[in-house]
Amino acid sequence: MAGLRIKKVWVDRKVEKDGLTRKLLDGLAGRPVEIVDSVEAVRRFIRQHSDPVGESKQHLFITAQPSFIRPCPCTPGCLGCGYWTIDLDLNCPFDCSYCILQDYLDGQPLTVAVNREQLGSELEEFFKQRPSGITRIGTGELADSLALDELTENSVFLIERFRDRPGFWLELKSKAGLPPALLRVSPADNVVLSWSLNPQAVIASEEKGTAGLEERLRAASRAVGHGYRVGFHFDPILHYPGWHQDYERVVEAIFRLVPVEAIAWVSLGSLRFPPGLLPLARRRFPQSRIYEHEFIRSAEGKYRYPRPLRQWLYRQLAEMFAGFGAEDRLYLCMETVEVWREFYGKIKRGRQNLAFPFPWQC
Amino acid sequence: MVYRLIKLSDLNLEDRRFRFTLNPVDQRLLRSVGAIGVLQPVIITARQDRQVLVDGWRRVEAARSCGLEELPALEIAENIGDLAVLLVAFFENYAKRPFSLAEKSLAIRKFYDFRLGADEIIERFLPLLELPPEGRMLELMLEVSLLGERFLEVIHRRDWKPVTVELLLGFPEAERAWLLSLIEKLTRNQQREIIENFYLLKRKTGKCLEDLAREEKLAGLTGRLLKGEISAADRLLAALREENSPLLSGLHRAIEAEVRTLGLPPKVRLDYDRALEETILRISLEAGEVTDLKEALQSLSETLEKKEWRRLFQLLHYEGE
Ligand code: SF4
Repeated sequence: MAGLRIKKVWVDRKVEKDGLTRKLLDGLAGRPVEIVDSVEAVRRFIRQHSDPVGESKQHLFITAQPSFIRPCPCTPGCLGCGYWTIDLDLNCPFDCSYCILQDYLDGQPLTVAVNREQLGSELEEFFKQRPSGITRIGTGELADSLALDELTENSVFLIERFRDRPGFWLELKSKAGLPPALLRVSPADNVVLSWSLNPQAVIASEEKGTAGLEERLRAASRAVGHGYRVGFHFDPILHYPGWHQDYERVVEAIFRLVPVEAIAWVSLGSLRFPPGLLPLARRRFPQSRIYEHEFIRSAEGKYRYPRPLRQWLYRQLAEMFAGFGAEDRLYLCMETVEVWREFYGKIKRGRQNLAFPFPWQC
Repeated sequence: MVYRLIKLSDLNLEDRRFRFTLNPVDQRLLRSVGAIGVLQPVIITARQDRQVLVDGWRRVEAARSCGLEELPALEIAENIGDLAVLLVAFFENYAKRPFSLAEKSLAIRKFYDFRLGADEIIERFLPLLELPPEGRMLELMLEVSLLGERFLEVIHRRDWKPVTVELLLGFPEAERAWLLSLIEKLTRNQQREIIENFYLLKRKTGKCLEDLAREEKLAGLTGRLLKGEISAADRLLAALREENSPLLSGLHRAIEAEVRTLGLPPKVRLDYDRALEETILRISLEAGEVTDLKEALQSLSETLEKKEWRRLFQLLHYEGE
């Protein structure tokens, strides 16, 4: 929770008396608290601000979610990776210049759901309905999985629910350090703690408030030491003069601290964003240079690097990972069938199932 | 409100405190007023012993052009404050047509200057104007309202969206004026694209617009456009796009060069995805008869050994920086 800056806590009236609400409020002692009837009151307050996105990250709303589990939407026209998401927290205290939540969440405060028992029941149902095969599920789609974990300890709750559920892979994806609670529980085989990585220069300029590269890698190393599997996400990969050398250093740094065998997967995805993000990000991050690049407008309407460049980036990264015998941990995030095909052709792995390219885990 | 006939000469048209609409008088209104005069009363109110127009600017202008001396009016009592009167002007027009961004900005500026609270503008009026109810939108609108008549007129006439105005505001004032002269007469899309491309180029190169406009590839085109040669706009845009998309532009040039050297039969056409997301060629041919088809296919197959085909596919599959 280092660096967590909460100006005010808002409590949804319907969870005012909840035990977890009380616990959270204890953890946030000293902040002004207001009881409200719905999130609309908070949103209204946030929207008055000249930077509603920045403001939304400093207001914490405690509530109950109507439902938690849904399939990850991926992008139309792209090859999905069969991922499911749990919307346990919404929004994120960090402030990355490329974060699509800026455009997506529309004044939603940092939101913590306390009706975890309902999530527990939804998970039981989910486990029952999808009894065979491999299912990956994570909390990092509309939030950072670990950013608020020192406060909520959601990770521990989830790990206990997934323990002894082979075939169901829980991923906790983050740009934070390692919350101490994760070292107090014994790891589960099917729980992957993963970190999004970028060169330190990119972290410093584009990922405000997040843990530095060194801290993320040390966190991964400690997690491995404790017995967890880990994952890494190179997403978004940014292209700029000197990118190759910078990313090479990151890959080398991974393998100085983490053995290949402990790595469950590594995703690669290049910068992409919906058009609505562009004016917002330009306004909020006037120093950022990442939006000055050459982009195409893809069929689904997002801006992306041109395909030749995306393939080049993935191939270079794949070669870096191949140097450590880890190229079979790679998969692509939100890429077209065309790019997947070329990519797997290039790294010469006859993958049967591109949607979940890890037969070694089945 | 009291109904009465007023003399046009009694109106203080210099006082535009309630005016936020920008549509000029058109021929249809002039013809109508010329034929039957003004039937629908304008709205007025007294301020400092003069009559101030609240609503009906086009009717008054048309009446003046047609040489009328009097016109019907509804008078709002003098003791009604400016904000309440502005609300009348606002809602009187609100029902008639959607406002342009320039008009929205002027309406918001007037509400703000007449001390309507920021909260109320954000919560009540921005949604009415189909703008996001956010503090930053209020700030943007207030800034737009100060851009000056010439800008507001272009924004109004070409129905600009907030994102274009926001980009424009990213340029210093002198550069904005230069841009305005450059794009004033163009279509909305051309205006938007030129602003966007200059914005990008400026950020990428760190050069000011004056220096960019002097560069070889752009100087002639901007010069022609500034002289009013509107046909130069598309070529300027192509040149700007090329500067901002060097990878794809280079590939397109190379592909087109190969297609030219390939010398395809006249009724055969090649096409490909201009975004280069797809790596396939689409070949189409024209045939009105089986013999045409045979001929076209035969002449096409005769080209197949040419090295340009291989190069074409290599270019389509190109991976690199
Ligand atoms: S850490 Fe993730 S969720 Fe948080 S701001 Fe960055 S990109 Fe967005």
